Amino acid sequence: MTQMVSIAVDTGGTFTDVTLVDRRTGALHKAKTPSTPEDPSIGFVNGVRQILTEAGVAPSDVSHVFHGTTVATNTILEMNGAECALLTTTGFRHVLEIGRHDIPRADNVYSWVKPKRPVAPQRIYEIDGRMNFEGEELEPLAEDAVRRAAAEIRSRGIKAIAICYIHSYANPAHEQRTREIIAEEFPDALISLSSDVLPTFREFERSMVTLLNSYVMPKVSRYVANLEQRIASDEISGRLLLMKSSGGVTGVETIRRQPVHTALSGPAAGVVGASLVGRLTGEDKLISFDVGGTSADIALINGHDPDITMEGNIGDWPLSLPMIDIHTIGAGGGSIARVSNGSLVVGPMSAGAMPGPVCYGRGGTEPTVTDAHVVLGHLPPHLLKGSMALDLDAAAKAIERQVARPLGLSIQDAASGIIEIANNNMVGAIRVVSVERGHDPADFALVPFGGAGPLHSGFLTRLLGMKGSIVAPEAGVLSSLGLLWSDLKNDFSMTSILRPPSYDLEKLTAVFAQLNADAIAWLDAENVPAAGRKIEWSVGMRYIHQGFELSVPWPAQAVNEGALRAAIEGFHAAHHQLYTFSQPEMPVEIVLIRVNATGQLAKPRTQTVAAGTAIEEARSGAQKVYAGGQWLNCPIYDRTRLGAGATIDGPAIVEQLDATTYLLPGQRAVVDVHGNLFIREQV
Amino acid sequence: MNHIVPENQLRNAPAVTPVTLEIVKGALRSAQAEMERLLQRTAMSPVIREKQDYFCGLFDRDGRLLIGTKLPILGNILAPILEEFPIETMREGDVYWYDDPYLSKGGVSHTPDQVFVSPIFVDGKIAGFTHSWAHFLDIGGMRSGSTTPDATEIFHEGILIPPVRLYREGVLNEDLFRTFLRNSRLPEMSKGDVRAMMAAVELGRRRMIELFDRFGVEGAHIAFDQLIRQTRDYARAQMHEIFKPGEYRFAELIDTDGHGTGPIAIRMTLTATKDRIEIDCTETDDQTRGPINFIMHPSCVQMMFGIYAVAGHPEFMFNEGLLSIIDEVKLREGSVIQPRFPASLGQRSVTLSRVTSACLGLINVASPDRAMGSSSAYSANKLRGTWAGSGEAFLKTMAIAAGQGARPNSDGPDAIYYLNQQNYPVEFAEQNYPLVVKRYAVNPDSGGPGRWRGGCGVIREFEMRSETASISLRMSNVDFPAYGVAGGMSGRSGQFIINPGRPDERVLPSLQDGVVLRTGDVLRIAMPGGGGFGHPFDREPERVLADVLGGFVSPESARDEYGVILDVASETVDLEATKAHRAAHRWQTKLLHRRDYFDPDQWWDHADSVTHAKHARS
Repeated sequence: MTQMVSIAVDTGGTFTDVTLVDRRTGALHKAKTPSTPEDPSIGFVNGVRQILTEAGVAPSDVSHVFHGTTVATNTILEMNGAECALLTTTGFRHVLEIGRHDIPRADNVYSWVKPKRPVAPQRIYEIDGRMNFEGEELEPLAEDAVRRAAAEIRSRGIKAIAICYIHSYANPAHEQRTREIIAEEFPDALISLSSDVLPTFREFERSMVTLLNSYVMPKVSRYVANLEQRIASDEISGRLLLMKSSGGVTGVETIRRQPVHTALSGPAAGVVGASLVGRLTGEDKLISFDVGGTSADIALINGHDPDITMEGNIGDWPLSLPMIDIHTIGAGGGSIARVSNGSLVVGPMSAGAMPGPVCYGRGGTEPTVTDAHVVLGHLPPHLLKGSMALDLDAAAKAIERQVARPLGLSIQDAASGIIEIANNNMVGAIRVVSVERGHDPADFALVPFGGAGPLHSGFLTRLLGMKGSIVAPEAGVLSSLGLLWSDLKNDFSMTSILRPPSYDLEKLTAVFAQLNADAIAWLDAENVPAAGRKIEWSVGMRYIHQGFELSVPWPAQAVNEGALRAAIEGFHAAHHQLYTFSQPEMPVEIVLIRVNATGQLAKPRTQTVAAGTAIEEARSGAQKVYAGGQWLNCPIYDRTRLGAGATIDGPAIVEQLDATTYLLPGQRAVVDVHGNLFIREQV
Repeated sequence: MNHIVPENQLRNAPAVTPVTLEIVKGALRSAQAEMERLLQRTAMSPVIREKQDYFCGLFDRDGRLLIGTKLPILGNILAPILEEFPIETMREGDVYWYDDPYLSKGGVSHTPDQVFVSPIFVDGKIAGFTHSWAHFLDIGGMRSGSTTPDATEIFHEGILIPPVRLYREGVLNEDLFRTFLRNSRLPEMSKGDVRAMMAAVELGRRRMIELFDRFGVEGAHIAFDQLIRQTRDYARAQMHEIFKPGEYRFAELIDTDGHGTGPIAIRMTLTATKDRIEIDCTETDDQTRGPINFIMHPSCVQMMFGIYAVAGHPEFMFNEGLLSIIDEVKLREGSVIQPRFPASLGQRSVTLSRVTSACLGLINVASPDRAMGSSSAYSANKLRGTWAGSGEAFLKTMAIAAGQGARPNSDGPDAIYYLNQQNYPVEFAEQNYPLVVKRYAVNPDSGGPGRWRGGCGVIREFEMRSETASISLRMSNVDFPAYGVAGGMSGRSGQFIINPGRPDERVLPSLQDGVVLRTGDVLRIAMPGGGGFGHPFDREPERVLADVLGGFVSPESARDEYGVILDVASETVDLEATKAHRAAHRWQTKLLHRRDYFDPDQWWDHADSVTHAKHARS
């Protein structure tokens, strides 16, 4: 029997969103259950049970369970990972303490404090043995020292062990032999090799990623095991696939070995959801904009896929793995507004889910962005379809006390100021992923989602002169929808420095062949049929003397002079696009060789909504909004009653169970056949 | 929305709303961040792209600084250009340039720093300026890398570019540019770096124009006024908080000029009344033959205090407001901080770091409760040689981190070079130069003991693999380590050692060029640490244990200097024995410590006694 049901579970800080699609009927079901931070697998299985019941589907009909998780993210941000040990080359015990020996540019030499590293130097063991950057052994591995270290680490009860030796990206033999020895001495050890996790140069960054892999490994492994057990005990069939930071999913086997790839699992799922909106609407230049309670995640989608970076960060640490180029700022619905030395500051401190904004009436006393929205009339008096009342008075009083009075403003001007500053922070973040990457926001549409995304999108598109915004019908649960539409993805890369004029094409051929073989082996292991396979080659290139490479597609799956020339041309063009100039007379070198493998999975059918242009039937209420210095009448519409072709002029509020959309005066929304609200400026 | 509040109760000047103010602030910050990112990613020389020795900034139409860098090394970037090219002669598309420290009166303080400035026009009128600043790897001079401890006049330190116009209305002055490139040993890198700096300046111009489009030139300038006032009012109030009416003096010592002179004293006397602060630096020792002279624009001193005054308050912009927190800075021409042309300047960081330390010393003397330990200066060295085989020349700059001073509530950061300047990864160094790095570690016991420990310096040790190489060496705080405060002790000195542990081991001078390294020679650079804060016996024993286990403090130092009795193998402290030991051995302290304790008057006299007070006091 063919299993035709897919389930997606996206675990957030407050809610776990679950969607189910039955590919036999095309029916899509959504559910929300409270998250269970102490053991997120409980919330996971609660959500799955609930949606199976609601959809009337048997557990045995499930083919895939997709999952976006924040277990690794929170472990790193909250610094509560496993006790780890790190094996390093003799002479480099302080590789993490020294880092890049800088104080960040935005900080002050008299007040900056160095962040505490995830492992103390006394748990870093120096091992003799040395490679050079071309992978030649200068000194053999001191196997005795490895055995001694393994015994000591074991005696201390530490199981998570990271190994990162100098130049191991060029030759992993010492790291691999070290793993063998540790496995003999300490069979229970959980081992991460830098040559597996990130085989590229720069020892601090590679050591940190490898260590973080070990740091999250026990928790993620335990979590994944819990999930598998719960799925099995509920007799749910189907394969569990986890979202990686790069926007592709992979099986649990890969995640057990390289859990650090899930560091941005949750946000990545949202961006995949936004690119799905692009595919449905035919828009291929989008900015994904996910606003939750404490933060906003922003990413650029040019073409159908989001931009990937190798230079991301998480918390205080660099994370040089392929990940969607997501820019996160501390601006969300719960961001607190306060006056400090005469300046109005919004965020990054947040009231979070508890106590939350003042208007939620759960004990919050600090005014938040959501409180400002309530005071200005951007939110209806009840959220979640009447199940949650908002306390307007309390919100207004908090803003008056903490912001309006200290600054000598009226309450509504203070509230407008809070929104303007939050918007301005968001504009800065959108610039980071667009103009700073050489893209003009005027060519892009914003895809807002998360509870508060569609409340801000109208302001942002206007400030940035963007094409408009597209609010999906599933705006509140777009991340879990993104999971349902995701593909299997994996990257295989290696640092290899190839210089003109020869570029050592023989070596290039050999490296590509090896990486390609690795990619095929992975696709085989994931059981991807031939028709669903996609393999792409690319190289990281830079001008000679430059320090940063750009990723350029390799135009064929063969190495020859013509392909090399085309790649170099592609590099000049990319450099011009990104940095406003290129230097065709300057020699170009290859520093990184990469193969991306994709395994396409069957996709759900797309939904359509019936036509219906009589918007009066969708009207559910009205209230006053404060805009441009005056109070205006503002109708409220029920999203579920809007048919295709319906047109709404702002100011207006469109409410739905899990999100609220605010249209500014002068903006117009049109509903398309998939139920998306396309909002533009009225001309 | 109306951004202008007409009736401001507090001031007569028009004001923008607090909201507009924050938006302008954010726009300036993100413009600077964007410019710097562009510069870093496209530049060619490793000094810029890996070490990140560059900055960008913005000015208003009157040439006031709107956003600058948190480093006290720059003078007035713009003034030298405006002096040569009056505003009314400027046109859209012009780019101005200089690297001359004397003609710019310390706008830059050594020749490798190139400054590019572009005016921003709105409706045919100047509305502001944008600049980029970066250290170039080589601009000529007596040795590759341009600056060398051997230089005794500025003509040894590369080509001098007086304030000139590189572009006129978007057209490059090719002759000028070719002349510059011709004077560099690495013209390809210089060319690439100039292009990157131009792109950054142009980006800054575009961002400022967007800001003016949104708020108008007038509206934006009202906001600029307010931002400058905010910073100035807060920083000035902080200064008067620190310096109650009275006279405070502090002397700091430089080890050597590398040419036989030293120690050299920087002497500062600060006089505060209720509403005025004046600093007299005229008692500072004379300029030297060696290149440690620092042509110091008075704004450097303003910035040194300004950075301290706004520490922990990111809401204040780094702008013109910090340049008027001291009412007068008196300098004496012919002194080491106001040298006469054509004294050499290439190693000015040696003196700059001690001036910073002297300013901190004034704060310590005036407000002992907020005292901070002194930080050791970074070490900058140049390795030059030829590759075995090809015989091609190479030049590697080396930037080695030191320890920072402890604060009243936290340890001094370990292993810091400077703000935002990154190291060369070992794997990068070995890919590009004929050497093998043997050790890159924290230098134990280099941080000054204290209730809060001074930061430790690092040890970087490498072996030469080329046939011939020579290195220029520079390290500070060798004879005079970074002082400790409030009972905290000074950091430990650093040193250069060749072939440690071998029969031919020897300690090298701290400021010298032309040290020959042969194949197989090992150079160990052991860096000094920062000064401590507070009595070391007041440090929690658990912290001392963690320092010992982590390799920051030796077990001997833990016992002798911290009074902590511990067992490394079991990773435990004997609390009873520690208590007894501390009770029996606690010593008396004074405000300042450098190998011994001093009170402020003794400190001043001590500096005189070691420098033999060369000139008469009035």
